[in-house]
This record gives sequence, structure tokens and C-alpha cells, in this order.
Amino acid sequence: MSYYLGVDIGSVSSNFVLIDEKQQLQEKLYLRTEGNPVRAIKNGYKELLEKRREKLDIKGIGATGSGRHLADIILGADVVKNEITAHAVAASWFYPEVRTIIEIGGQDSKIILLQGGVVSDFAMNTVCAAGTGSFLDQQASRLNMSIYDFGPTALKSKQAVRIAGRCGVFAESDMIHKQQMGYPIEDILMGLCEALVRNYLNNVGKGKKIEAPIIFQGGVAANAGLKKAFEKILQTPIMIPPHYDVMGAIGAAILAREYIEDQGVNTAFKGDSFIIEGQFKSSSFECKGCPNLCEVVCIKREQEILAYWGDRCQKWESSLGHKEVG
Amino acid sequence: MKTVGMPRGLFYYYYYPWYKTFFNDLGARVILSSPTTRITVDQGINMAVDETCFPIKVYFGHVQELCQYDLDYLFVPRIVSVEARSYICPKFMGVPDMIRASFSDLPPLIDITIDISRSPRDFQEELYKTGRLFTKSRRRIKAAYEHGREELKYCQAIAAQGYTMAEAIDIWEGQEEKGSWNSDLCIGVLGHGYSLYDQTISLDIIGRLRKMGCRVLLPEALPGERVEEEASTMPKRIFWTLGRKMVGSAFIMEKKPEIDGIIYVACFACGPDSFIGEIIERKIENKPYMLLVIDEHTGEGGLNTRLEAFCDMLRRKRRQKIEDNLPAYG
Ligand code: SF4
Ligand code: SF4
Repeated sequence: MSYYLGVDIGSVSSNFVLIDEKQQLQEKLYLRTEGNPVRAIKNGYKELLEKRREKLDIKGIGATGSGRHLADIILGADVVKNEITAHAVAASWFYPEVRTIIEIGGQDSKIILLQGGVVSDFAMNTVCAAGTGSFLDQQASRLNMSIYDFGPTALKSKQAVRIAGRCGVFAESDMIHKQQMGYPIEDILMGLCEALVRNYLNNVGKGKKIEAPIIFQGGVAANAGLKKAFEKILQTPIMIPPHYDVMGAIGAAILAREYIEDQGVNTAFKGDSFIIEGQFKSSSFECKGCPNLCEVVCIKREQEILAYWGDRCQKWESSLGHKEVG
Repeated sequence: MKTVGMPRGLFYYYYYPWYKTFFNDLGARVILSSPTTRITVDQGINMAVDETCFPIKVYFGHVQELCQYDLDYLFVPRIVSVEARSYICPKFMGVPDMIRASFSDLPPLIDITIDISRSPRDFQEELYKTGRLFTKSRRRIKAAYEHGREELKYCQAIAAQGYTMAEAIDIWEGQEEKGSWNSDLCIGVLGHGYSLYDQTISLDIIGRLRKMGCRVLLPEALPGERVEEEASTMPKRIFWTLGRKMVGSAFIMEKKPEIDGIIYVACFACGPDSFIGEIIERKIENKPYMLLVIDEHTGEGGLNTRLEAFCDMLRRKRRQKIEDNLPAYG
């Protein structure tokens, strides 16, 4: 069977999807990046092969996420796109009418507004971790509960406690305080959800007109408590797409399909043996060529140098004499 | 021959040709610090007080570099106001004092105070005063002053063709003009020159946009009177010179049909930027607008993602418009 592969390599998780020529999702895979995107990309592809137990006929590849350029080097991508575009494309494929996308992932959060299927405005927050997946994981483990119980427990709350959610540090100390005062855990959790939603709306969604239909995606959308808090504060129902956790990868795959079909070209896919049999290594060094002292990253497969980046003057990059990383 | 050191920062981007011509005509050699690098930034962060903004810290890095040279003077004017009833940001005013307090072995400073709000002839008088360090001839000083003004105008005319002030200064100094860039989008980019045109401070936002296929339109390419006219439509007069220029430029850009979108590059710790950026955000309703806040911790990755997403959005929008305008029966 022929597939389009979409990968979304983030700092916390790396996601892989296969879609078929009718753009139906055939496989999805979710991996922790664990600070090693090179390994995550390679292992992800390997797992995909093992799961499908067939020779994958890859027609095209799309890459997104902060590690998208790395994915391009290792897998050979036809389309390398930023996360905003990828998320928007996937969301409007499932919900053509969507006007607002709330996306909260492991380490960052975004808001995307659309009009007629096209992004009309967006904002992202990469600085404050409050409300992102990592923060919720941390709070769950502090409370000795599994992150999977977080949502269901919060939903039991009848009266959310008010928690200061201006930033992660405040929220945490306020929660501890409320715990010591003896509030029930579900009310504290629901209170935290509401605080995080207010925080999101004030920081990421600042000044934006949030209009329905609204969809909520990214790993954190699994948390039913947050969904309920969004619905309560925005006073509108919110939809969660079935594959909320891999929407970026789906968007990348759709973009790859569009590109391959529009251009009528062959994929840049590197092939199984290139990916699986080689040893990939990324290293970095400080270039002393001039006072810019660039932190240059070098990607190697066995002894062969595949890419450089981070060099401001592009002297390293151009020494390889191939296509630009865009 | 006397040498005058000049840091490549802050008002370098707005006045350098004037200053340089002035000093040269009086027989002095101008030594300019090198373009900002990571070392400049690191040294600046080390030397400057924490509460200042990024461009001022970088300015300190440039001063540090100049301290290595054998200079007769270091030119660090105290710029309070460059036009009537308007001010430059208060952080500018203290720059010479902060420099004195932070560096030990400084050459003599030329720290004239330029405050046009005090008197329209202030700039001239202060420069004349400076001129007397080099010559007794009032005529020569006057001629150098006038010549400097002409050169600045000439350099501004170069910038108006689509160059940043940094590039225009290079061209004015005799460097070759850069080739044209291929573009299918046109983006209006706003920001204080000393951040925006410093490739290290702004992480070369302009170069990145050009590489992504954008033509960039900058405030310097807009006629000054029109900028003032547009800015004066605000209910309350903005008395920060740069802020007013940004607001007026944004309003013009919004009306220009060839401009697809507008980006404002603001500094994180900058007081004026924090409200000017928002005023513009609220007022610009008919064009996509993005506020980018930068500081010494801004990462390349996040910046590229935002720029790329902005360009993608503009391109997809345009394609949609074209498709919408096609007759449904065809
Ligand atoms: S990569 Fe280029 S710009 Fe960066 S330090 Fe080396 S020579 Fe300088
Ligand atoms: S206007 Fe802002 S960026 Fe400029 S010197 Fe003042 S604080 Fe710094």
C-alpha cells in the first residue's frame, strides 16, 4: 500500500503518522524524544516498519516540529513546515469550518485563528511552561497520581477552588497552600485547570477574538478537566479531534501529499536502508572563524557529513554544496 | 591626526553619516567599532546594568571594543530629543553617565547633550561646541556641519530604495549595492533601527524574511511628512519620537495595497515598545500583524517558526483570494 508519512519532532514527543492516498489515517505512533531527536526519528521509523509488517511504499514525507530539519536530513522530506501551518492544515481537514485552534503540547502552547480554512492570526508561547504537558506531568507526580487520572479526578469536582495561575511557580505554591487547608483534591485539580485556562487565554490568546467552532488539540487535550475548564470559561462547547495528539504529524503528511500531487514529482525519501542501517550522529562545535563564535551543529551518517547548521555566514553549510535548509 | 571612536549602536543607525562627515571635515579620523558579534553582546551584558534594554547593553559592548584603541575622544552623545515636543526614550539620557560609571580607562568622552525640545538650534550648537575641539575656525565647523547634513540626506535616500539603514550606510561608505531579492510577498517591518538593523540583535529578521521570498518595506522608505500626518490621527500625541514614527508608518503600511502583512519587532525590556506595539496591534485591523518581542534569550528556532508561519499564512490567504475570485461556473 502507498502512504504519506508525516513526522512531528518536538522537544518532548516525536510523532509519526501514515496516511493513505485518500488522506485516511492508517497508523500513528507516539514516542518520547528524550532529548535525542536523532534517535527518536530513527527509532520511530523502525517501529513503524515493525508495526506495519510490510514494505512501506512511501510516496512522500512531510516534517514539522522543532526537529523538522533534522527529520529532513535523516528521512528525506518533501515538505518541511512550521508547526502552525501543519496544525492548521490538519484541523481544517477534519473540521473545515474551524475558527479557533487551541493547541497545547508538552512544552509550548499556541492559538491559531482561521477564516475559510486559512490561518488569519496566530500566537505561540514558548517561554512560560505553565499549563503545558510537562507542567501537568510534574503536578500529577507531586500529587502522587498518574497523569491519566488527573482529568477524570478533576471532573468529579463540584466546586473548583480558585488557584492563582499567573505563572507555574505561583500556581504550584498556591496549590500546596490549598491542599494544606484541606480542600478536596478534585476541587484543587479543577481549580488548577481553570487557572491554566485563564493563564492561556491571557497570555497566548491575548486580544484575540476566539470564535466557534473551537477545537482543542495537542497532547494536553487528553485531559478532560482542561476541556471542561475551557468550555466553562469560554461558554462554548469544544471539540477534540480523534487524533488530537498527532495533529501536527497529520498536517505534515497532508502537506506532503498536496505537494507531491501538485508538482507531480517523486519523493525525496531516503529509503529504509539509509535510515536503518546507518549510524547517525549529531555533534556541535564552536566555530572560531570570526567573533560570532557560532554554535555549529553537524549531522553525520557514519563518516559522511550530511548537514551543518547554526553558522551565520553559512560557510559550513555551503561547504557541503547542496540544497539550503529552509 | 586626532581619532574619534564611535560605537556602532543606538543612534549610529540614524546619524552616522552626519557625524562621520563632520569629524572627517574637521580633520579627525573616525574609528567605528565592528559589527555586533556574540562577543560584543557578551561584553555588553557584562558591563551594563541589568535593568537596561538589550540595545543599550550591546552599545556597552561596542564601547568596550573601542576602549582597546588609542583614541583621543570617544563620541557618546546624550540624546534627549531630536525634534520639537518629542523625546527619545529616558534610558538614552543616562547612557554617557552609565558608561562613565562602568568603565575605568576611558578616553575623554564627547558627551554633548542633544535636546531639540530645549531649542531647535540645540543640535547645531552642541556640534559646534564639539567642533571647537578640532579647529578654531567657525566657518570650517559650519561647513562641516552642513556637509554632514547633506551626506545624511543622501544616505537616507539610499535607504529609501529598500535598504536597511545599516546597508545604506555601507553603500554610502562605498560598498557595492546588494543585488535584488526574489520576492512574491511584501512585508512592512517596523522597529527601532538600532535593534532591527543590527543583524545580531534582531537575529537578522530582515535577512531571514528576504530569504523566505519577502520584499521588506521599512519606515525609512516612507515620506516623513506622511508618517507624521498619519501619526497625528491618534487622539493623543505620542511624544516618543521613534514610537510616533512607528505608529505613523504602520498606518501608512496598512493602507498600501501592495503590502501583505506587517511585523513589529519590539525589545523585551523596552518601555515605549510595550505600549506602542499594542497600540498598533489594536489599530491595524485590515492587515495581518505580528508582534515579535526579542531579547538576548530569543532563540533562532522559535523566531524562524513564527516568520515562516506568517509567510505561509499570507501566501495561503492570497491563493484563497484568487480562488474565490474565479467564476464558479467556468
Ligand atoms: S560560522 Fe561563520 S559567522 Fe559563525 S563564527 Fe564561523 S566564520 Fe563566523
Ligand atoms: S526605546 Fe526601548 S529599546 Fe530603545 S533605548 Fe529605550 S528602552 Fe531601549
